[in-house]
Amino acid sequence: MTGERTLTRNFHRPDAHTLAAYRGTGGYTAWEKAQTMEPAAITEEVKKSNLRGLGGAGFPTGMKWSFIPKNHTGPVYLVINADEGEPGTFKDRYLLERDPHALIEGMLIAARAIRSAVGFVYIRGEYVEPWRRFSAAAREATDAGYLGRGFDVVVHRGAGAYICGEETGLISSLEGRKGWPKLKPPFPAIKGAFGAPTIVNNVETICHLPHIINRGAGWFASLGTKTQGGTRMYSVSGRVKRPGVYEASVAITLRQVIYDLAEGVTGNGRLKAVVPGGSSAAILRADEIDVTMDVDGLKNAGTMAGSAGVIVMDETVSIPEALMVVARFYAHESCGQCTPCRESTGWIYKITERIVEGRGRKEDLDTVLDVARRGAGTTICAFYDGAVGPYISYIEKFRDEFEALIPK
Amino acid sequence: MPKLTIDGKEIEVAPGTNLIEAARALDIEVPHYCYHPGLSVAGQCRLCMVDIEKAPRPTIACNTVATDGMVVWTQTERVLETRKSIMEFHLINHPLDCPVCDQAGECWLQIYYMKHGLYDPRMVDEKVHKPKAVPLGPHVILDAERCILCSRCVRFCDEVTATGELGIFDRGDRSEIGLFPGRELDNKYSGNVVDICPVGALTDRDFRFQVRVWYLDAAKSICPGCARGCNIEVHVNRRRPHHAQGRRVARLKPRFNAAVNKWWICDDGRYGFGFVDDGSRLRSPLQREGGQQLPVAWDEAIAGVAGALTAHPPAETGVIASPKMANEDLFALRRVLDRRGVTQVGFAVRPRVPGDEDKLLIRADKNPNTRGAELIGLGGDTAAILAAARARRIRCLWIFGHDLLDAGWPEAETRAALGAVETLIWSGTNANATSALARWVLPSAAWVERDGTFTNFEGRVQRFRAAVDQLGEALPDWEILGRVLTALGEPTLAARAEHWFRELGRSVPAFAGMTYQSIGDTGQMVGATREAARA
Amino acid sequence: MSLTAPLAFPPEQLAEVHRLQALYPDRRAALLPVLHMAQDAFGYISLEVEEYVAGLFDMTPAHVHEVVTFYTMFFQRPKGRHVVAICHNLSCHLAGAPRILTHLKERLGVEVGETTDDGRVTLLSVECLCACEHAPMMQVDDRYEFDLTPARVDRILEGLR
Repeated sequence: MTGERTLTRNFHRPDAHTLAAYRGTGGYTAWEKAQTMEPAAITEEVKKSNLRGLGGAGFPTGMKWSFIPKNHTGPVYLVINADEGEPGTFKDRYLLERDPHALIEGMLIAARAIRSAVGFVYIRGEYVEPWRRFSAAAREATDAGYLGRGFDVVVHRGAGAYICGEETGLISSLEGRKGWPKLKPPFPAIKGAFGAPTIVNNVETICHLPHIINRGAGWFASLGTKTQGGTRMYSVSGRVKRPGVYEASVAITLRQVIYDLAEGVTGNGRLKAVVPGGSSAAILRADEIDVTMDVDGLKNAGTMAGSAGVIVMDETVSIPEALMVVARFYAHESCGQCTPCRESTGWIYKITERIVEGRGRKEDLDTVLDVARRGAGTTICAFYDGAVGPYISYIEKFRDEFEALIPK
Repeated sequence: MPKLTIDGKEIEVAPGTNLIEAARALDIEVPHYCYHPGLSVAGQCRLCMVDIEKAPRPTIACNTVATDGMVVWTQTERVLETRKSIMEFHLINHPLDCPVCDQAGECWLQIYYMKHGLYDPRMVDEKVHKPKAVPLGPHVILDAERCILCSRCVRFCDEVTATGELGIFDRGDRSEIGLFPGRELDNKYSGNVVDICPVGALTDRDFRFQVRVWYLDAAKSICPGCARGCNIEVHVNRRRPHHAQGRRVARLKPRFNAAVNKWWICDDGRYGFGFVDDGSRLRSPLQREGGQQLPVAWDEAIAGVAGALTAHPPAETGVIASPKMANEDLFALRRVLDRRGVTQVGFAVRPRVPGDEDKLLIRADKNPNTRGAELIGLGGDTAAILAAARARRIRCLWIFGHDLLDAGWPEAETRAALGAVETLIWSGTNANATSALARWVLPSAAWVERDGTFTNFEGRVQRFRAAVDQLGEALPDWEILGRVLTALGEPTLAARAEHWFRELGRSVPAFAGMTYQSIGDTGQMVGATREAARA
Repeated sequence: MSLTAPLAFPPEQLAEVHRLQALYPDRRAALLPVLHMAQDAFGYISLEVEEYVAGLFDMTPAHVHEVVTFYTMFFQRPKGRHVVAICHNLSCHLAGAPRILTHLKERLGVEVGETTDDGRVTLLSVECLCACEHAPMMQVDDRYEFDLTPARVDRILEGLR
């Protein structure tokens, strides 16, 4: 049912993070093969595989690479987004800790495709152990001659800011600034880190590359849906029997994730709601879970695949309280650059807090809905749209629960 | 050159022009806060949304470069609705204390709320509180609650002065403009952040709470503070004279001139107008009788000065003009000198402390019209004139404006020179140690009290206009000199500064063909006209 | 740190600063790593540290202050010998994080953001640390602590000296 596991196949091995173990299970053979391929052929293979970005936006990876200007002669940078921070998501932590060489091999392949000589791996500051594990792996890879011969990796630590997971916020932060997202245009592929063409890819996205090169785009594409290939890692948490990270096809349904992978709902055992793709994804009701987890499947269901962080809520969970917690997060993490986001995330948190504390006003719900709708799409980056997802969906889908808390 | 259509009107713009500027060229205003043509594009305020054909939703105009064939709409329903929304976002945490805010009347939150907002406020929760009335430096004060975080001031200090004093600290709705604790906003251009602040966050310590801005009148002028000749507006308080302790000039503001100062002026220039309403201003002609200088009528003073110029042979007469005088004054002086055949004339006086200079605007020469004085032919050796006075070869000395006792020459030598002359005449706006020694003191109108032109160091002739009445009996130097010329037997018909300027154009080739009209609001280079080229 | 000597990195750390600065196309990019180093070396990022670091990068202190105040991991005031940061985001909340936080406050006798009187522990309540499968969880210095119960919290606190 869940099919083949590739990214997570070695997670059970206590030594999976070592070069020896990685090589012992076929590691770095894809890199050998990739070196015989023209860069354009690698990009073409990735395009054909239907690999889509797994950090949140779901953008086709091969197409992203192809935006690097063809006649560019200066440096090109590959930046790995390991600033995992989307609430409900923890897959990249596993990859960094348990299979760091997969990321390095994937980076070598991507760097060849985009002709990059330097890669930066931006790891969230709180991930100390993943940072140590990955840094050790990078040293091993350098000693073994994989790195340092035409491609170097710089490991960079963040310092605590969710917005640095946004690709241009990450670039600003990498450059030693506040993590303020940058105006687009120009897009990073044209003018990114340090003013050079830059590709920012998520850890998990890159970790797929060795398998795509080794086994072919057709194989990878066949694992998924018509518009998205492969497997991905589902981070499942909340009120489920077996929270954890699970690799499965992107074509799996949300119901399967909850009931088959995570073995069902705890609490009172009855599902009330589920967030399918990290906290920025619109919430789904219990009757909306027969939907495939690929980018387009969840988009068609009015939510998003995002980072595939699945947060499950049983009937005993208070949705208004959940929204308050989520609203607090967006108020805390708004970078403060654009007015709509800066000013309204704090306000909406105050309103949700007031409602939960029994001091709601009857116009509050419509105010939040209206403010969120008005602010959506008006900002530099997608952070605010990510906040709007829960603001609107929690209230629209569970309005009764909110109204019950508001004094008549 | 891209040609695009905005609100149905076609326009061709220079490559790289953004949509705010392209619309501006059609007199279409796209409202904005963070965008400023003199600073990098920040795109933070999100107000300048316009509709671009084929774009799925409104786009910010500031970060959109006009392209050929682009079709832009600034008044679609969804653009108007978006503006209204953005206005509400801006005001969520903004205090509604307009009655006690000094920005009232020139606040872009007020202006745009009336034009683009007009929603019913829904924010009933406690607003975010931040520091209020924080002095940032000698000239600027911050109210962080009123700040809309457009970052113009931060970008100004980063990009224009490259001093980087300001930052936006913290994040989310706790974001706050400020200085590094313990530092000051004390760069030489700090006052500009007040001008570019669209709201009441940064106000001018010198100006705030002195007078409401709707009582101010404005006149186009030129800063007299150095040889740059920055274009300014003089804001005067004629309608509420009891406010501001009777100060008539309320403030100076930069006036855009692409070729001179762009949008900026320095603090020395901005705050250098204090002498205009200072107690040291001379209000009537004075004559020394014994140890005392006593007021006399203008006719008496003119007769006295003309008499002295007649009584002393030209060889015994010297004049130290001032590069702070207008071209019109200097030319009238030229005519007086020519009438009497006086040749010992100069204007350059070495300052006691050399002037500071930078790469932005500030010039070491602190005089607005050195170039004009040179072109009008008054550039003789002033030190030689003083030496001649000491040697009693010069018996009559007319000094304009300078305090020679506060100059880069040994004070004792200067004092000896001034003491040695028989008739010392002094013209200027404010009494000083040199004027105190004069037999005749002629009160000059300050530059804000009269019309005239200065020629800046690059040779740009620029007009300044009267903003207030002349103080007391003070007169423009050109008028005083015209009266002296008449008394010397050469009646002049020049009754306005402009008449003198026309005569200047007829006599001095560099100014040939120039008129007040041709100079306009942004100035004209000397030698630029066809007449000048022929001459 | 003595009161008289100006604050500075020892030579070997200064060499590390220069190594980090040379790693990037623009040396300013080493600012976050150097601030991490400075926090380790000096305990927290005081204004004096900000000015010192600004000097290492030819930046104005205001621009360093912007960065320090933007990121949550830089402490602008002295912190305890250990930092206990409980996650209060959704999955941990659903798993009882508020109860664990209350327990932490009682055990430590401090509110969030405060440090115990003996300087042992600073208590924080933070956004998602991305270990939701082990909710409720917290970070203790460099370590993640999983599947918290009051009893487990007590054992962890006992280990902090």
